Amino acid sequence: MADTKSKVKETKAKVTDQKPRIGVFVCHCGTNIAGVVDVKAIIEYAKTVPNVVHAEDYQYVCSTPGQKKITDAIKEKNLTGTVVAACSPRLHEPTFRRATKEGGLNPFRFEMANIREQGTWVHMHDPAGATEKAKDAIRIAVAKASLLEDLTPKSVAVEHAAMVVGAGIAGMQAALDLANAGIKTYLVEKLPSIGGRMSQLDKTFPTLDCSQCILTPKMVDVGRAENIELLTYHEVDAVEGFIGNFDVTLRKKANGVLSMAEAEAKGISGGGCNGCGDCEPVCPVIKPNPFEMGMKPRKAIYIYHPQVVPLLYTIDFDSCIKCGLCVTACGEKKAIDLEMKDELRKVKVGTVVLALGYDMFPVENKREWGYKQFDNVVNSLELERLICASGPTAGHLIRPSDGQTPKRVAFVLCAGSRDNTGIGKPYCSRFCCMYSLKHAHQIIEKIPGVIPYIFYMDIRSFGKMYEEFYYRIQDEGAKFIRGRVANILEDPVTKNLHVYAEDTMLNRPIDLEVDMVVLAAAVQPAADTDRTRKLFGVSCSQDGWLLEAHPKLNPCGTTTAGVFVAGVCQGPKDIPDTVAQAEGAASAASIPIHIGKVELEPYFAQCIEEKCAGCGMCVNLCPYSALSLVDKEGGGKVMQVTEAKCKGCGTCGGFCPGGAIWMQHFATPQVIAQIDAFLLGGAK
Amino acid sequence: MAKAKGYSDPKMEEKLKDRYYYREYSNPDFTKKVHDLARTVNHMCFQCGTCTGSCPSAPRSSYRIRLFMRRNVMGLEDESLTDPDLWLCTTCYCCTDRCPRDIAPTDVIMAMRNIAYQRGIVPVNFLKTVQAIYQSGHGVPNNDVNRAVRVRLGLAKDPPTTHSYPEFLPGIRQIIDHWHVKEKADKIVAEAEKHG
Repeated sequence: MADTKSKVKETKAKVTDQKPRIGVFVCHCGTNIAGVVDVKAIIEYAKTVPNVVHAEDYQYVCSTPGQKKITDAIKEKNLTGTVVAACSPRLHEPTFRRATKEGGLNPFRFEMANIREQGTWVHMHDPAGATEKAKDAIRIAVAKASLLEDLTPKSVAVEHAAMVVGAGIAGMQAALDLANAGIKTYLVEKLPSIGGRMSQLDKTFPTLDCSQCILTPKMVDVGRAENIELLTYHEVDAVEGFIGNFDVTLRKKANGVLSMAEAEAKGISGGGCNGCGDCEPVCPVIKPNPFEMGMKPRKAIYIYHPQVVPLLYTIDFDSCIKCGLCVTACGEKKAIDLEMKDELRKVKVGTVVLALGYDMFPVENKREWGYKQFDNVVNSLELERLICASGPTAGHLIRPSDGQTPKRVAFVLCAGSRDNTGIGKPYCSRFCCMYSLKHAHQIIEKIPGVIPYIFYMDIRSFGKMYEEFYYRIQDEGAKFIRGRVANILEDPVTKNLHVYAEDTMLNRPIDLEVDMVVLAAAVQPAADTDRTRKLFGVSCSQDGWLLEAHPKLNPCGTTTAGVFVAGVCQGPKDIPDTVAQAEGAASAASIPIHIGKVELEPYFAQCIEEKCAGCGMCVNLCPYSALSLVDKEGGGKVMQVTEAKCKGCGTCGGFCPGGAIWMQHFATPQVIAQIDAFLLGGAK
Repeated sequence: MAKAKGYSDPKMEEKLKDRYYYREYSNPDFTKKVHDLARTVNHMCFQCGTCTGSCPSAPRSSYRIRLFMRRNVMGLEDESLTDPDLWLCTTCYCCTDRCPRDIAPTDVIMAMRNIAYQRGIVPVNFLKTVQAIYQSGHGVPNNDVNRAVRVRLGLAKDPPTTHSYPEFLPGIRQIIDHWHVKEKADKIVAEAEKHG
């Protein structure tokens, strides 16, 4: 890091060593801008702003001829800075910086005036006002451009390793791709086994292949991949650093069991857990198995299901009574350590993929459907286990109240989705329509004479071969009733359920008696999502899903450089979309690692040594731990910035009592000039 | 179109007119007016049917709240206001409790009833209730059967309302007169009775 430490700035006098000559370029953006404001008036005005020696407009300044206008003007008019009044810098700042550079100027001599997003779009019904606002924006931008200085981006090395958080299908796919691209990948999973939600499913739509059958080969690949370090039963505890150099602290939760490698390391030759399962029968503690949605028991020492990867027993220390029976049963392998404690471990990675997954919405909050009030109302993940051959009933669908085979099953779609009441979720959960069709197919297949009733608002069968699947299920005899279920009541004697709805196609209210109801409950971000995303500095959208950098053009990235998202944690999606996004995220995450270095925007703080009193008050203020106090030549202390850590937030610069901190590209004189230009109105 | 084809059955012609409902009969101001009165997002209905499914009136009558919500979205003022089903809502608010779009269909119905009243479209039995309140202070005044039951139960013959305190009746009448409700009710009832 030594090479990225800043040389302490000497003086800032050279900034204005030349009289500024600014060129202003106003973009029409088709009719986006020119359709609202009076571009000619703006150009005439711009010519009167101090320091402006050139002003012109063009239909699309971002186009090749538009950019050429910038480069030409820089050369012909000997400009010292450029201002483009157009869209948001989010979109075209890099374009115009490049054009400025091609004209022979430092790219940071460019300033953008946003007159579209903050101008003509929001004020489209007030052309005169928008025109005045555009003039203000240009005057302010020119004021700053007149004071801009040459800056050089810093580049930092990228650690040749990646981390994937969450080992569901998204995380596994991302980890496999990264590993296959030759990158050391840490795959972190909070549960004892990888596989995620997909391993709980019986079959997958629309192909109806068995979920475990297509998933387990991938799980085995992940377990065997040389470049993947599988960290199950681990949680992310803390994150420091930035793209290229994330220092992640992981918590290895105490599982009470030594793997074979761990046993070897402790000198227990030939010991460690081999998954024989001798410990499980002797354990006296019985708990519900969350993998089976609580419908099957597990012991305090357990594996979730036979296909777990890694095959390693786990002790649930919240329920373990430390009787020691398992230790005896394990015998010579000495795999069990009842005194095991959580361990912290630090790893350094260049990029991170978050694949945090989802939970079911607690559909009991919608009280009218009776979930958790009536025995025979289940959610669809519970049904998934009830029809799965490896589930608690070995694949025989029975209703919970009496173990009878249901003959009439109602499916309630949009159970908590598309709900603006504040109790449910306003979004469409996207895969419930299709899995409910699949459920209908499966029960028809398993139970002769069964009638599935599907209560729907719209059937959203948008994927490849999905509409065909809908056709097939209707042909198989499923009854589709277009109406959202209003409420469900239980017959207290038979435990049958009365489903109340309207058949909106017939304008007819319905009271349908069924044996069982399946609620296709909405999905919501997994419980730990909010904590984890904050550790990585990733934003979320209003519904709690992780926010992608751009919904269309950067769906795998986040606003934090080097952190990517995959799978349902970014928004509900089915398995094909999840895998596709995981591959996209892995590809994006591998790019900085393969390039080996990243360029950082040179917006970091600088210390003006002769003004710095060495008080150190800024050091504790810095949210990124980028500042430190060092000894000054000839005694005393002086602040020093680690540029690669500094994000240019300006906290220190705004605070420094001596005005000794210079925020590059947002320096005090530059900002003051902008404020003056705005408040004093400039030359009119 | 129906006319051009020349169906001879007038009932059929009336039915076929319907296909242009959203152009010829629609009044966009109606949706707005209902919104202003009901203070709910009545234009956001997506016709899921939760309201009708929840409605205790629907299985017992021809009242379909979802149809009124639809007519409202499409601005079908006359069709909404002249349908006597408008008055079959018991205002129990079950639909409002459960609407996934957080609309208050009950308030939409109430708003439509208010607009219907302004236009003088009210079933006569409702107006007779107005007359009854004006006469006695009660929508359903006490009667001899009730009185007998009350006495048997050890209660006073009349409840402690305007039945027992008729001196408060003028106050009630003043309120009703202030809004000209009785006046209008009398007029509409008289007209209805004139037409048989």
